[in-house]
Amino acid sequence: MNLEVVEKTEDSLALIIHSLPLGLINAIRRIMIAEVPSMAIDDVLIVENSSFIYDEVLAHRLGLIPLITDLDSFVKPEDCDCGEPLGCGRCRAVLLLDVEAKDSIRVVYSSDLKPDPSNPTVRPVNPDIPIAKLAPGQRIKLEAYARLGVGLQHAKWQPVTVCYHRYIASITIHRDRCDGCGRCVDVCYRKVLALINGIVSPVNILECTLCNDCVTSCPRAAIEVRPEKDSFYLKFETTGSLPPQRIFEEALKILRAKASEFVSKLGGVER
Amino acid sequence: MGMVPIRCFSCGKLLADKWNLFKSRVANGEDPAKVLDDLGIKRYCCRTVMLSTVEFIDDVIKYAIYRRRE
Repeated sequence: MNLEVVEKTEDSLALIIHSLPLGLINAIRRIMIAEVPSMAIDDVLIVENSSFIYDEVLAHRLGLIPLITDLDSFVKPEDCDCGEPLGCGRCRAVLLLDVEAKDSIRVVYSSDLKPDPSNPTVRPVNPDIPIAKLAPGQRIKLEAYARLGVGLQHAKWQPVTVCYHRYIASITIHRDRCDGCGRCVDVCYRKVLALINGIVSPVNILECTLCNDCVTSCPRAAIEVRPEKDSFYLKFETTGSLPPQRIFEEALKILRAKASEFVSKLGGVER
Repeated sequence: MGMVPIRCFSCGKLLADKWNLFKSRVANGEDPAKVLDDLGIKRYCCRTVMLSTVEFIDDVIKYAIYRRRE
């Protein structure tokens, strides 16, 4: 297996993976979406809400705010033995919000969500998310409980937004048949091909979606497009809750745990 | 109620943090497509959410009865 990093930013990662079956890459992708835990606000205790935003809408908006997740110091509520209905310091983080509009209209931003001193690491990824807007005299006071969860339970716990894999094209140009008419270059909507010295060459091969428009446009059958065998492009973007490498690592750990569970269960089956 | 969605409906990308900048730049007469490109909003699902959002909380807030808490 061979891994190539195509693009890496603060919140996204694009990889080319060689010699790994598609099924395995899809398993990693699905685990990243549905089973890698991240933090999200789950319970909201509303002390006062005199704003025009209904309690349930407010709670929903709070839930969707991505939180910086500290995977190493928290456990999932179902794995915690505290037995408390609202959880303990190991299985939940508290965020407090108390905003009152005095004499003018006031927007409540995610920066107003103050992490409790017991868990300063868990806070919104961005301070500029508008949560509510208050008319003069209105007030929102609440306690929010953030917990670890997985995308399987609710999409707010998904650490990734888009996460996809696709085939990589392998484009063959038969130089003896190509007369450089340029029809395939014009027809390609992803601008994969270009005419270089009168000969068609692939210049942007990762953009190719294997649509075969170039093949059908060529009157001399000089171009062939095939998916590369056992090489795939995997790209995912995070919500900001976890760094992309960490999500990938966690997904691999979960996959390994599933595989070893499978093997241990197989051990009980008589051969 | 009447505010920007926090995230894109389809892909889940965080959008609300970019709303104020988007709104003020478009109000200043800039081309929305260019502003969206500048803000790094590439996919058409996210672009739809930004372009089609109409905030009406300001219209509702006008009818608030001023009541100062004691």
